Amino acid sequence: MTTTETDSATTETPPAARVTEEELARKARRSELTSRWFWRILSYVAVLAIWEFALLDIFSFLRGSPLDPKLLPGPSEVVATFFEIWGEGTMPAAFQATLTRIAVGFGLSFLIGAMIGILMQSKWFEGFFKDAVLISLSAPGLIWVLITAIIFGNRPLGPTIAIILTTFALVTVNVSEGIRALPKDLIDMAKSFQVNVFKRNRQIVIPHLAPYLFTGLRFGFSIAWKVTVLTEVFSSSAGIGFEMRISAVLFDMSEFLTWILAFFFFALFLEKVVLEAIERRYFRWRQAVTAT
Amino acid sequence: MAEIRIKNLHKEFGVGDDKVVALEDVNLDISGHSFVSIVGPSGCGKSTLLNILTGIETPTNGTVEITSDGHVAAPGYVFQAARLLPWRTVTDNLLFVQEDRSEGTKERCQRYLEMVQLGDKGDKFPGELSGGMQQRVGIARAFSIEPDVLFMDEPFSHLDAITARALRRELHHMWDETKKMVVFVTHDVGEAVELSNRILVFAKGGRLEDDIQIDLPFPRDPADDEVAVAKAHVLRKFEELDLLAS
Repeated sequence: MTTTETDSATTETPPAARVTEEELARKARRSELTSRWFWRILSYVAVLAIWEFALLDIFSFLRGSPLDPKLLPGPSEVVATFFEIWGEGTMPAAFQATLTRIAVGFGLSFLIGAMIGILMQSKWFEGFFKDAVLISLSAPGLIWVLITAIIFGNRPLGPTIAIILTTFALVTVNVSEGIRALPKDLIDMAKSFQVNVFKRNRQIVIPHLAPYLFTGLRFGFSIAWKVTVLTEVFSSSAGIGFEMRISAVLFDMSEFLTWILAFFFFALFLEKVVLEAIERRYFRWRQAVTAT
Repeated sequence: MAEIRIKNLHKEFGVGDDKVVALEDVNLDISGHSFVSIVGPSGCGKSTLLNILTGIETPTNGTVEITSDGHVAAPGYVFQAARLLPWRTVTDNLLFVQEDRSEGTKERCQRYLEMVQLGDKGDKFPGELSGGMQQRVGIARAFSIEPDVLFMDEPFSHLDAITARALRRELHHMWDETKKMVVFVTHDVGEAVELSNRILVFAKGGRLEDDIQIDLPFPRDPADDEVAVAKAHVLRKFEELDLLAS
């Protein structure tokens, strides 16, 4: 058994040393995290300070401050307006309208994109869809927004189609890449152990595809989000984009910026809280892989 | 008691000028608590034989019967790479190949994890383990379904020498303890001599050239004279067959 002992001695350090090592590593991680957050927050503070500072009256010797508060209100005013609008209750309604559009449009887009991704495993369908996917990936979303706005006006079909055209290809590319990379060795292993096809699909195929689907979901969603707001700016009577258009038309910059702020916070919330929580919860094994 | 009976086994790939004979008229009986190693140079048909035994490939001619007390034997497998599901924990990897998830099954899986000294690693993901530990999980998985026969395809060839040696010791203990039949493919003669009580030497063209019994006591230390002699004997067989050149 001497060999076994040497083996464990090489792979494990004595318990006492390990505790301190772990603690040191944790401490280092924490300080790294703190400084990263510090710089991140500092960038916000810097931008807000410059913005507020540029509007101060001390520049009057230059014949007025470089920025006119009527055209560009300061951050403090924008925040005040934010709470004002929040109090009026128009914000949840606008978000609801926008999010419903995204849910319908991107939901359909995801299904269509995944289906095309599966179909593209066949040579014929690959030829059929290849250029469409390429065009969708490379064309600016604004093109589809304008075209659908002209064709459909403010009917709900417009944004839906614009979202599908701009995002389906992202899902398609990820799904077909995932299918191409199916772990044949694991599937063969499962077959040798006489694991039935349902269990194989549930425990090998789906978990393997999940990160690919998630990447498609994440990138697709970020584009769907932008495109939806754009369609609302051009041709809608509800939603965040619509509210932005109204404030722009009324030259109410404070309100306009407030909507941008709300949009920004919501996007940040989705990205940092919702999506990252999903990632942590379901893709813990990937962190385990990258950590070693 | 497991039994493997191979009669007039013949396997060819391709047709016409591309025809390659992988196995030529192999006749073989293996029974009981044996540890049989299949050795030979690459291209001697040892992988093909394993693939036929495990049902991945079908023979061109001849028959293969794997039985245990009159009924079809349940096989277990250990592959060259560990082949674990990276998104499942160690315990769930073992449970994946089980027929049920009852308490008894879970206890059995835990018992085999302890046998490969990974009793405390059940909640880890494969990515958190070293290559040697992953291969141990693969071995525990194969034993955990309590198969009649275990098929192993060069399971230690990817590991460093020290880890491989430790795992060979463990495998020997498990074979000894569980009284299973093991069919072990390797290109490492030293490994074959250390572990097996029977070595089948295959030559290029898929002929079974020699069937060597090794009756030395276990555990075998490669530094022992008798083990070294046995290894030299097998290597000489290789030379006689002019196999070392290839």
